[in-house]
Amino acid sequence: MRSLLNLLFIFIIALILGLGSAWYMIEEGSALTTSRVGPWSVWRSAGKPDADPYTKAHMARAGRLPITATSALYFFANDDETGNSLLSSCEYVVEGRPLNAAWWSLAVYDGTGRLIPNKAGRHSFNRTDVARRADGSFRIVLARSARPGNWLPTAEQGSLKLVLRAYDLRDADSVLDKAAAERGLPTIRKVVCG
Amino acid sequence: MRTVMVSALGIVLLAALIHITAVLSLPYLAPKNAWARVSALSEANRMVVLPAASPSHQSLPLMASDVRYSVCRFNLDSGPVRLSTQILDDLWSIALYTPRGENFYTINGRELKRSRIEIIISTKNEVGVKAGASLLDEIEDLVVVDSPVREGIVVIRAPLLGPSYAAQTEAALKRGACSRKLPASNLIR
Repeated sequence: MRSLLNLLFIFIIALILGLGSAWYMIEEGSALTTSRVGPWSVWRSAGKPDADPYTKAHMARAGRLPITATSALYFFANDDETGNSLLSSCEYVVEGRPLNAAWWSLAVYDGTGRLIPNKAGRHSFNRTDVARRADGSFRIVLARSARPGNWLPTAEQGSLKLVLRAYDLRDADSVLDKAAAERGLPTIRKVVCG
Repeated sequence: MRTVMVSALGIVLLAALIHITAVLSLPYLAPKNAWARVSALSEANRMVVLPAASPSHQSLPLMASDVRYSVCRFNLDSGPVRLSTQILDDLWSIALYTPRGENFYTINGRELKRSRIEIIISTKNEVGVKAGASLLDEIEDLVVVDSPVREGIVVIRAPLLGPSYAAQTEAALKRGACSRKLPASNLIR
């Protein structure tokens, strides 16, 4: 009886550890599969036929069909620069220089991945429709109510998710190079909450 | 002491086995993977222009609202499939996927350098094209892609240069087609 209980205990602990670690590495990624650059994280092998099993499992669960990471990259941010969750109740400034891609688009979703309804019908800014400064850099403001310039409307409440997609990248490897990427990817700065 | 060591080892080995099984089986078990979602949109070998992503509807998760998409779920069981589409811009891209979401072929407008493209998707050597290269020389806008799978997904992405381009882009995507009809004269069946 004692040894049977022992076996059951071993099995339950193994089940928790095995499934828990699998879930975490598939859902959140790990050093094996994802790179973190400032607030952004990117699945390095998304869409590649020779991707590792974690990346394939993640994409299957997400139900997405990303373009192969050799020619496009998708960066996700749930947090701001300081590591706090992005919230609709706060205002953020996203500033950056154009990515080295033929086309890029920065879009905001709510925490569950839905687009946020707003009167302006505005959910993203991209390489062609963002207003830029003379030196090519841009500044996008995430806020509930209208702001001058590039205003990306957010929801009444709840968390936010930013997706930066870059199509036809000139050099995916250099974007994934941490130092280069940190110079190239936009920053997400909290301005005020309330 | 010995029992504790054996138990710990048992836990680690069993946990590793469960971990590996879960990771490897998930792509086949995930109920709402892309293949399931695309299959729900239309029958095989039919091009569908996806409705623009909106707060109330997204055909696929995390679609871009400033990109227009069309998809075709191809099935090569009864022969090659022909995909034809306009390419309005260098930024347009055509991506072919296996049912597991592996993007085995991608080409964009910049690489194509033409405004209209026909792609024949076939399993290896099935089309009976005598020589791919010479065929390409003869017909400028025909590309033959060997598919590693008998079923898969085509996604055409058309990024909008601005909101005012939406209608024009959607109309161009609607003129695209996915079908079993092949340009008979150039292919030996």
